[in-house]
Amino acid sequence: MRRLGARTGSKIVDQIFVAVLLGAAIVFLAIILGLAASLVKGSLPSLRTFGFAFLWTSSWNPVTSIFGALPLIYGTVISSLIATVLAGVFGIFAAVFLSDFAPAFLARPLSFMIELLAAVPSVVFGLWGLFVLAPAMRNTIDPALQRTLGFLPIFSGPSYGVGLLTAGVILALMIIPTVTAISRDVLTTIPADQREASMSLGATKWETMMKVVVPAARAGIFGAIILALGRALGETIATTMVIGNRPEIAVSLFAPSYTLASVIANEFTEATSDIYLSALIELGLLLLIVSVVVNALARILMWSVFRGARSAR
Amino acid sequence: MLKRAVFTALALLIAGCSSGSGGTTLTGAGSSFDYPFFSKAFDTYSSQHPDVTVNYQSIGSGGGIQQFIQKTIDFGASDVPMNGDELTRAGQPVIQMPVALGGVVLSYNVNGVPSGLRLDGDAIAGIYLGRIKSWNDPRLKALNPGVNLPNTAIVVVHRSEASGTSYIFTDYLSSVSTEWKTKVGKGKAVSWPASGSVGGKGNEGVAGLIRATPGAIGYVELAYALENNMATAAIKNSSGAWVACSPNTVQAAAASKPNVTNTDFSIVDRPGARSYPISGYSWVMVYTKPADPKRGRMIQNVLQWLDGNQAQQIAASLHYVALPVNVQASAQRALQSMNL
Amino acid sequence: MQAAGEETTAKVQVDDLSVYYGKVAAVKHASLKVHENCVTALIGPSGCGKTTFIRALNRMHDLTPGARVEGRVVLDGIDIYAPNVNPVLLRHKIGMVFQRPNPFPKSIFDNVAYGPRIHGTRNGASLEALVERSLRRAALWNEVKDRLDRSALDLSGGQQQRLCIARVLAVEPEIILMDEPASALDPIATSKIEDLINDLKREYTVIIVTHSMQQAARMSDYTAFFLLGDLVESGPTRDMFTRPSDKRTEDYITGRFG
Ligand SMILES: Nc1ncnc2c1ncn2[C@@H]1O[C@H](COP(=O)(O)OP(=O)(O)OP(=O)(O)O)[C@@H](O)[C@H]1O
Ligand SMILES: [Mg+2]
Repeated sequence: MRRLGARTGSKIVDQIFVAVLLGAAIVFLAIILGLAASLVKGSLPSLRTFGFAFLWTSSWNPVTSIFGALPLIYGTVISSLIATVLAGVFGIFAAVFLSDFAPAFLARPLSFMIELLAAVPSVVFGLWGLFVLAPAMRNTIDPALQRTLGFLPIFSGPSYGVGLLTAGVILALMIIPTVTAISRDVLTTIPADQREASMSLGATKWETMMKVVVPAARAGIFGAIILALGRALGETIATTMVIGNRPEIAVSLFAPSYTLASVIANEFTEATSDIYLSALIELGLLLLIVSVVVNALARILMWSVFRGARSAR
Repeated sequence: MLKRAVFTALALLIAGCSSGSGGTTLTGAGSSFDYPFFSKAFDTYSSQHPDVTVNYQSIGSGGGIQQFIQKTIDFGASDVPMNGDELTRAGQPVIQMPVALGGVVLSYNVNGVPSGLRLDGDAIAGIYLGRIKSWNDPRLKALNPGVNLPNTAIVVVHRSEASGTSYIFTDYLSSVSTEWKTKVGKGKAVSWPASGSVGGKGNEGVAGLIRATPGAIGYVELAYALENNMATAAIKNSSGAWVACSPNTVQAAAASKPNVTNTDFSIVDRPGARSYPISGYSWVMVYTKPADPKRGRMIQNVLQWLDGNQAQQIAASLHYVALPVNVQASAQRALQSMNL
Repeated sequence: MQAAGEETTAKVQVDDLSVYYGKVAAVKHASLKVHENCVTALIGPSGCGKTTFIRALNRMHDLTPGARVEGRVVLDGIDIYAPNVNPVLLRHKIGMVFQRPNPFPKSIFDNVAYGPRIHGTRNGASLEALVERSLRRAALWNEVKDRLDRSALDLSGGQQQRLCIARVLAVEPEIILMDEPASALDPIATSKIEDLINDLKREYTVIIVTHSMQQAARMSDYTAFFLLGDLVESGPTRDMFTRPSDKRTEDYITGRFG
């Protein structure tokens, strides 16, 4: 009897536990839905006035109160993509170096520094971007790209230093710590026997990392990249300082551009007319949607890569 | 007994928290342009009037107007006065008075021209419309005889965030160029027409872009330019005089129009031998009849002091331009009309 | 060394080998001759240093932080710890099956093909043939031939261990080190492995760690007995099991301790 009683008790504890978890999940859901709902509500005047044209028109004119978000969506997505690709490549290499190649006396301070980098406020990145990176892009990097890859339209045209590519690079620098730190943690959780198995078959350390350890950690690394992508999409201050803030779609990555988050930050405090405010709130809604869509696309992409890797012969 | 002592202590504590040394705290919010001036001025005011503390939040003009309309603050501050629509929403008579004066300068980065560039309204509008694309354009050469202007592309820089500075600058462009007026207009944020123009955040962002980009031209606040010793262009005003931007020339332009109102407040493109053509006021708004007359009187006192000589000297020491005496006087008259 | 030992040549000669983890010696001054195309069994109670010993033979200790090896291991006349020896090439020659199965989280095919691909076999047909041959020799082919592209982690523990053996065979090494390869296997699979090892010794030199006296007696030509880090005794299996020269060996073999 006593035994039975004890088990009933633990069952109740279990149920309470489940209820708490469920409650937490519902609260999260409610917050997100509430957020979306209030954004939709705030966007209503703009939605009514511009309809779907808001998505594919390119004028952003507070004076005439005609608003279209296409260049802003474009700038947001492209700058984040550039950042994600750069940060993915560099972050993974840095993580591989830190987890398996760097001697301990180097790995520890380096990891510490990288984590410190994640704590640097974005305005500092922005200032550095404006005063150091932008001139370097204009004087050195952009001309070099133009010389070597200038036949690609994305590397053509005049460079102002500030622009889409510069914003992508700054964002990459900002999210590399996230990618690196998480990827390194994931890599170190891959058991030593995987490494030993590969090495014992005559693989070099490099082959072991690239063909066994990194693939084994890919889900975690991918999670890190998704997390970083989220930060890049929503980053405001640093982006606005180096992207040029021009709501225009240009083929060239050197050209100035603009992002959803930057426009909101730049114009929200001074917007007084209803339609203007509403258009800005709709940008917020779009940012939410763009984040969800980009995330979903990235997941689908990765999922297909996973499957591909599994069935590869 | 004990209960009462505790209660009193608690009340004192609460009062202490909410209003410094047991006095009243007045709150204002709005323009960030005014912030350095206000924080120093109100500090001085409190040291002279220990019973009053003024808490000013630099949340941007738009936010200041919103909060003022919602009556959550005692006064608002904005780089552009409230318009008819906003006044209607306020639902009560409002007094708006100029409180700070600022100039907008054009700064540039042209190889071989470290200083002394001259521009007129047509040229500036041409550049910002994207019609004048190179520094050796004949129109610029004509304005700068003897200056060796290089064959460098012009990079147009503007403020990225909505700002009073942009308002003043586009107000100027609208009054010197009908094309600008019809195509672009004036506003704290506008759709900048010149292709390849870039936006910098804040004065420092614009200044940073100018410094880093050969061929760049952009506009910044006079105070910022003075503090950073930036090269600025002399501008031909509507009387045909070449005027460099300085506190004196901005003040001269302002003094030429003492009676500004919230519908007729532009002081750009003023005539006069010493009038610098790109400048404007920042404004403070109060309700003519505040809900609490006692509080209202305190606000009135603070604002009278703010538009008086002592506070305006503080402004000047911070590189704002002191309000001309005649503008101060008309502001004082407006404040007298508060119904307390 | 006795009769059988003198008939074959030494593939590996271990001289005065000590292995330290930090300051602690896990193997102390061990010397052993490993005969070519023979099976050498390492026996001894848990924790006596068997794994530590064989890991010294393919320089796996290079990967263990804090581990240090002293003494000489001579393979085909070359000291594998000499500075000019490339451990990567060395491990190509000396395959290893670990105590715990450690397949990669890849498909069964990719697990077996891993080594050959690393060493440059790209040709699809010959790779497939090699994978099949290896899986057949490891007695796994019939169980997995229809699901080569499924994850190796879906296999049972015993199947995983045979997959690891197949993975080593696919590299075609000269020496195979096996650390208790049969510990996770049922009797049928164990006998398959034993048959395999018997078969392997025609081409390979095999060193196998085992806890089973019977297994050592059944399959090995030579046996070495470890106790507390000491290599107590080694010699032809027949002699070791019939007339051990050391009292401790006798006690262990007769099950009096360990
Ligand atoms: N990485 C290591 N660091 C420190 N000590 C270790 C390490 N690996 C093994 N040891 C120690 O070295 C000794 C020998 O271990 P080893 O794994 O070689 O034993 P074993 O004979 O293989 O045992 P078993 O039969 O249980 O597998 C043990 O005392 C063990 O605790
Ligand atoms: Mg062992």
